[in-house]
Amino acid sequence: MTPRTGLALLFALILASWPTLAAAQGNSKGTVSISPVQNLAFGLLFPGRREAVPTTDVSRRAVVALAGSGPIDVTLVLPTALETPTGDRIPLSFSSSDAALLTTSGATLKQLDPLQVNRVQLGNDRTMLLVLGGTAATSANTRTGHYTARVTILVNHPGT
Amino acid sequence: MNRSFRLLAALTFIALPSVASAQTAITGSITASADIATVFSFGTPVALNFGSVTPGAGATASGSIPLSRNVGVIYSLPDGANTGRLTGPAGNLQPTYTCGVGSTAATIVSAFTSCVPASTTASQLTLAAPTGSLTEYVIFNGTLAAGQTNIAPGTYSGTIRVTATPN
Repeated sequence: MTPRTGLALLFALILASWPTLAAAQGNSKGTVSISPVQNLAFGLLFPGRREAVPTTDVSRRAVVALAGSGPIDVTLVLPTALETPTGDRIPLSFSSSDAALLTTSGATLKQLDPLQVNRVQLGNDRTMLLVLGGTAATSANTRTGHYTARVTILVNHPGT
Repeated sequence: MNRSFRLLAALTFIALPSVASAQTAITGSITASADIATVFSFGTPVALNFGSVTPGAGATASGSIPLSRNVGVIYSLPDGANTGRLTGPAGNLQPTYTCGVGSTAATIVSAFTSCVPASTTASQLTLAAPTGSLTEYVIFNGTLAAGQTNIAPGTYSGTIRVTATPN
């Protein structure tokens, strides 16, 4: 193969790959969005108590809006504890029934397991709501203060 | 030409990671939060009761009140010199006291500087925030000397007021 032939072949390969790349970008970035709506708020807790927020608790559960089309894989990166800036901790736990997928009117579409990767089918740019509950367990030694943690939501198109 | 070919090949490899990143997951995040309440409340007191005292005989008694807390506290005796003064048919009767705070109602661990202070703010006891919630006891041990009790019969009563301020 002469240098000229190789160069032409390389150009051809790059040009051929561009439409695929555009589609891939449009599929993953253009049609799916994640919008946090409401944080997971356990509220005021007393030391030595266990407090669960079920997915049906509309005022305290976390709500995230998912919009787009096609199948997506939703993964939640769950914290193990709420913490203060000084390092005090309240352990958190999540069960397999602590997440659900709802319509915007509040009807349950599907129970989700926040501990697993969940395949969700988005339909025609409709918005769906991912809701998350959980349990915080304070001990008698839990100090007064404001405790926080971050829940990360990862959305992948299957096969990417 | 060879240089152009190498440059193009390099550009191609540089382009590949951008494509990969365009296909990676999109992420969002939400916050989880909780607030731990302040625990600060008195429980049911145990009265300091000398009982039936024989005139001319001494008497002792002990009383306490529990406080549950998970923050620091400043104790004070707002009645000052009148703290725990008994009043009855013969007038006033002032027991002598030892007082302080303990982890049980039986033993004083941290004492007030004075149980019958000259002023309402003269005797304060400041204790730091504990590592968690605890219940401690404000204890008053009272003594009536024999010479104080040879007085007119009747009921002599008073109040020991303790103020606890979160700190």
